[in-house]
Amino acid sequence: MSSQLFRVGLWVAKVPQRALSTSPVCATSVVLDQKLRDEIYPKIGNREVVGFGINGYASYVDRCEFPCPAIRFKESTPEILKLREKEKGDWKTLSLDDKKALYRASFCQTYSEINAPTGEWKFILAVILFAFAGSGWLALYMRKFVYPPPVRTLNREWQEHTLQRMLDQNQGAIMGVSSKWDYEKQEWKQ
Amino acid sequence: MFRVALKASTSLHNAARQCLKAQAGAVSAVRYSHGKEETDEEFDNRYVKYFDRPDIDHWEIRKAMNDITAEDLVPEPRIIIAALKACRRLNDYSLAVRYLEAVQWKCGSKKSKIWPWILQEIKPTLSELGILTPEEMGYDKPELALKNVYLM
Repeated sequence: MSSQLFRVGLWVAKVPQRALSTSPVCATSVVLDQKLRDEIYPKIGNREVVGFGINGYASYVDRCEFPCPAIRFKESTPEILKLREKEKGDWKTLSLDDKKALYRASFCQTYSEINAPTGEWKFILAVILFAFAGSGWLALYMRKFVYPPPVRTLNREWQEHTLQRMLDQNQGAIMGVSSKWDYEKQEWKQ
Repeated sequence: MFRVALKASTSLHNAARQCLKAQAGAVSAVRYSHGKEETDEEFDNRYVKYFDRPDIDHWEIRKAMNDITAEDLVPEPRIIIAALKACRRLNDYSLAVRYLEAVQWKCGSKKSKIWPWILQEIKPTLSELGILTPEEMGYDKPELALKNVYLM
């Protein structure tokens, strides 16, 4: 039943049927047929294929939600193979350095390294501030060299005279300006 | 006209009867649902049984670990223990530590509440197999830094 299940799983995973090991305690890594091997191994070199990974391709990627990528990170060098032999024994005999070496052989970054802050925000903030400064300089340049001088009606004195003229002409007597002006007391209505 | 009305009323009556039947038996297959929903207990048992298989291999253990990490839950200690024992059978120490890190990450913002309890539950297995927690290995803080690929 389980062998049928993983045949289905393999079909879904686009990896063809693996050779089933005949030994009862099966500690083999994934066994691939020659065609796949020719396709994959030039790209991954001497690395061991260990699983399905994220999408079935023999790639390595560090993702928090997928703890186990499809291949080991480092190529299988003689030192690492020696460590793997040691790994088959009691793990209490492994020193801390051995354990760390084994971890780094299979994985690139630890979870805390994946989630560590990158300081990228400083770069982004700097770019934004640069953009503000640049546009400020551009605005100054435009005002000094590009725009014509401002219209003569745009100063305070002219506008005060305009307002006085509007009141003299009784413009907006119902709902507008003059309706807010008290002509007897010569001040704005309270 | 009356026959039509009668037919309509009987069909309505039948529909009502079936709806009531559906409410009564929640476990049996209801017309509008996909199938029987798995209880938490069954879910846990399924994963424990999978990890406890004596002939599990690298492909299967990693698939199971990826799948259970993809679920929206923190795995029960007995699932974690079964996974660690499966790592032992496959002689893969680094995978055990990796999975412990994954469980810690699954705790999310409630790590300070959930992880101590999980650790307490799995401590006997950890000491028995000689697996260090990520903290003991020094992996709770970043050890190495990776250069940004965009700045290489």
